[in-house]
Amino acid sequence: MSRPVEKRTVDMQIIGDWVEPGTRVLDLGCGQGVLLDYLVQTKQVSGVGVDLDFTRIAACVRRGLVAYQGDMTAFMRSFPEKHFDRVICSRTVHELADPTAVITEALRVGRTLTVGFVNHGYWKNRLNTLFQGRKIRNTVYTTEWFESRPANPVTIADFEHFCAEKKITIARRAHLAGNWHTPCRTRPNLFAGYALYDLAR
Amino acid sequence: MTDDLAVAPAPDPAASARPPAADDVGIVAPKDFVFAQPFTFKSGQVIPGFTLRYETYGALNATRDNAILICHALSGDHHCAGWHTPQDRKPGWWNNLIGPGKAVDTRRYFVVCANVLGGCQGSTGPSSINPETGRPYGILFPFVTIRDMVRAQKRLLEHLGVAELHAIIGGSMGGMLAMLTAIEYPHFVRRLLAMATTGRESAQAIAFNEVGRQAIMQDPAWNRGDYPKDGGPRVGLAIARMMAHITYVSDASMDRKFGRRKKESAPNDAYTFDVQFEVESYLRHQGQSFINRFDANSYLYITRALDQFDLAQAYGSVEAAFGAIEAEMLVVGFTSDWLFPPEQNRELALAALRAGRRASYAELDTDLGHDSFLLESEELYGLVRGFLEREQPFAFDYSI
Repeated sequence: MSRPVEKRTVDMQIIGDWVEPGTRVLDLGCGQGVLLDYLVQTKQVSGVGVDLDFTRIAACVRRGLVAYQGDMTAFMRSFPEKHFDRVICSRTVHELADPTAVITEALRVGRTLTVGFVNHGYWKNRLNTLFQGRKIRNTVYTTEWFESRPANPVTIADFEHFCAEKKITIARRAHLAGNWHTPCRTRPNLFAGYALYDLAR
Repeated sequence: MTDDLAVAPAPDPAASARPPAADDVGIVAPKDFVFAQPFTFKSGQVIPGFTLRYETYGALNATRDNAILICHALSGDHHCAGWHTPQDRKPGWWNNLIGPGKAVDTRRYFVVCANVLGGCQGSTGPSSINPETGRPYGILFPFVTIRDMVRAQKRLLEHLGVAELHAIIGGSMGGMLAMLTAIEYPHFVRRLLAMATTGRESAQAIAFNEVGRQAIMQDPAWNRGDYPKDGGPRVGLAIARMMAHITYVSDASMDRKFGRRKKESAPNDAYTFDVQFEVESYLRHQGQSFINRFDANSYLYITRALDQFDLAQAYGSVEAAFGAIEAEMLVVGFTSDWLFPPEQNRELALAALRAGRRASYAELDTDLGHDSFLLESEELYGLVRGFLEREQPFAFDYSI
């Protein structure tokens, strides 16, 4: 499991670079709180994580994090505008049932929204689909379709189209090559494996 | 709170023979704390002093900051862990949570639990002797609020030399007591764990309490609260308990436990009002065992205190109530709790978060209803243990 773990930390480091120290952060789909723990320890943020699963919340609590078990949209609806300095949606956006509602709410309760996702337009994914004709399975997506949660195979082009359509300002973007490490500067929708965005209204 | 989640309609002979287990606190004895100065209630009424009956397990450390206060629910008491005698049919009501090596580890923490002011298990309440008349207070006892109970418990903790609470834990009414302690004494409480509770009861919860009170007060033996120690409105109190018990469980759990099963001894003739269904027999057993241990006037006073508890009204808003707490907060709701439902629990955590406090919310999927907080659940134990013990800061773990 070394490769996904390394990839996870790359995502964390970039988000860590973007987070201002001591700010108020909301992590949507926080899992066991790995990213939030990192931000608390390196950036002294005051963080809250939201997740649906009891055991993940219990893991966050054990780490000393603040975590809330429940629906992320309902959670955000109970907060006033700009309550959080930054909302983070790291590797969650592709699994959302209603991405527009979540992103709209996140841009209301947060001054900035950070979204990180795997680019399904990456050339290897395209070739895989072309030649295998099967759901993509690799070190990141390890499961068969029938044992996976529903997911949208979102691409960089899809995401930027969404932002334009919804008049969301892209304040910052980071595209990483297939190794999720080297910056990708040309044709990111084809050559980037991972994308990170800072959005604002 | 029910007597025992696992209790069978008839006493279980295997349970009665069970000795204290190795991870129990063992044989414990209650103590009395006597506060011999006048105590003014929120109502303005004054009593010349009070007694709180309490138990402690574990030892207070040198810095006097490893104490955990356990707060009991409406019909609970100070006996939350261990056994009074080896012959006891059951241990203390939260014995599954509290003990050496358990989630609330008595090897690390000094655990305190007191019967509330207004109660009837040894603490001063309406069944206590009024020094002015030499007879039980009855309804001359001052109206008790959750805040009065909290203030009295604080006196006990001062008496025990507790400098700071490592945590305060309670379910149902105990959750109200825990929250209010953290609100009223913000520097004194480091962790607040409230389960199956609410910032204020819904109309439905008040309605159930009122039916219970009416059952008691309409019993002629209530006699406006003036009755001898062994007498009183036994029928009314038993009915109040039977009805309240239904609100502590759930449709699903009652169906699983009893279904439509009939008593073996039930008359073949269906056209009688004798006990036929096991659920009837169980509720009668609950009512009967309750009247032998609970005072009807205490039931009136404490349900009234529950109804009047309203954080939003008392502090302007729930956010304002939590605005000054310094405790780390964890609220736990239970999916099948329809008395203090999950929404009311999650709203407490949300309000504290809006107020900028550190508050977590977890929800356990159970079908046991309100009493789920007493559940024997490794998931719940793990959560409680994690909240109380917290990993060392900077022990960074990359595992996903």
